[in-house]
Amino acid sequence: MSERPESYEAAVERLEEIIDRLDSGQAGLRETLDLCKEGKELVNYCAAELDEVGEGLKELRLDDLAAKLEASPGVN
Amino acid sequence: MSLPGPFAVGAYARKLQEEMRKRARVQLIGEVTGVGRSKVQAYFELRDGDGAVPCAIWLNDLEKAGLTDGALRDGAEVVIAGGPDYYPGGGQASPSFCFRATEVRLAGEGDLIARLEALRKQLRSEGLFELQKQLRRPRLPKTIGVVTAETGAARRDLLAGLERRGWAGNLIWAFAPVQDRRAAPAIAMAIQDLAARPEVEAIVVTRGGGSLADLWAFCDETLCRTVAMLRVPVVSAVGHERDSTLIDDVAAVACSTPTHAAEAAVPLDCLAARESLERCSLALRRAGEGAIGTRSRHLGALARGPARALQRERGKLNQKIREIRAASERGVAERAASQRRIGTVVLERARRRAAGADLEKRREALRQATVTLRAHEPERTLERGYALVEGEAGEPVTSAVAAAAAPGVKLRFADGRVQARTEGDVERET
Repeated sequence: MSERPESYEAAVERLEEIIDRLDSGQAGLRETLDLCKEGKELVNYCAAELDEVGEGLKELRLDDLAAKLEASPGVN
Repeated sequence: MSLPGPFAVGAYARKLQEEMRKRARVQLIGEVTGVGRSKVQAYFELRDGDGAVPCAIWLNDLEKAGLTDGALRDGAEVVIAGGPDYYPGGGQASPSFCFRATEVRLAGEGDLIARLEALRKQLRSEGLFELQKQLRRPRLPKTIGVVTAETGAARRDLLAGLERRGWAGNLIWAFAPVQDRRAAPAIAMAIQDLAARPEVEAIVVTRGGGSLADLWAFCDETLCRTVAMLRVPVVSAVGHERDSTLIDDVAAVACSTPTHAAEAAVPLDCLAARESLERCSLALRRAGEGAIGTRSRHLGALARGPARALQRERGKLNQKIREIRAASERGVAERAASQRRIGTVVLERARRRAAGADLEKRREALRQATVTLRAHEPERTLERGYALVEGEAGEPVTSAVAAAAAPGVKLRFADGRVQARTEGDVERET
């Protein structure tokens, strides 16, 4: 897998497919190693996604964001 | 100008008032705005999403209505009864039109439910309930917009729900009034502003419970149409489980509490997902290592296979060799014994054969010899008339000299011997 997954759910769905395939015991060595590699990348992707929503709640106010937007240069 | 008239305007104005007052008396329902009072009457506008009518009620009629102080206020949903009226004005006073209410009461649940159902039917018929439900809801949004009151339990409950999910991403609060006539437009604007931010993946609209009148802003037609057309999924949690507002119908998901709204906005249980990911990671590692381990053991077994097979074959071969050798030795011995036996038999036969022929020859020879011998026997010669001279001791005397020298000789004939004596010298044969 060289492309970034479309979304977390797409990654998880693919990951489940991979695990099912591996569990079936029907994959050959090359396929198994390829699936493991792809699965590991998906796990890393998912872990990174989870980390993004696991490092502490950040609360913002829409009013503040709108004020910043208006104050920023180059914005009409 | 072919029209009738001209008439005096004052007369026309009174005629207009007369005509207005003939109109049927009806009840109207709507939200009160712009309440004001004079010495004799209260005036306000009654409006909803589609329009408004200026209204007035004499203070004595208002008192008869029995409303509590301040009940006729901006944002109140009321039902009024009356009919159109026209004040023609006067020399100084301005004319005006109004709906002259003679009765007023706060709108009851039944009134509101009837209005709500009519609106619901209309929006459903336009397919507006389905649009939000067709949107993809990300299982793990990183930024969520929330429209709610700045103070109140809803905010706290929502945070608790997110914490329970193990979610700690970005929350953008858009605070808005959630009850009165300002609420619906403010909420609609907040939702639109949140949806305009590209990072916002889901929007939660929430407030605590209340009467249907309290929640009426969330049944606002304009607000609900705004939500229906939004491209960002909206999760509504307005009021409690038994409350059903119109925004619940048009939203992607309707929840009974802010806590549930948090879970709907973040469908993924992040805590469980982290554990599940750990399991996946472990399963992958095992699968990878297992695949290599199993195959390397298999390969090892395969690699040892030929050697084992060779060893096995070698063992068989050695066994064969031993058997062959044993058989060979046994065979040689047997053959040797057999050959010995055969040889013996052959030799015996040969010997017998050879012996048989020789014997015959010998017999023949013997016969010949016997014949020859017999021919040479002195007896045969004697029988033919010859005599043999023997010495005293019986030895043959074969010469004349010996006979002359011998003191005595015997003459042997075929039938016996006689003593004889030699005389004289030897007479030599010439």
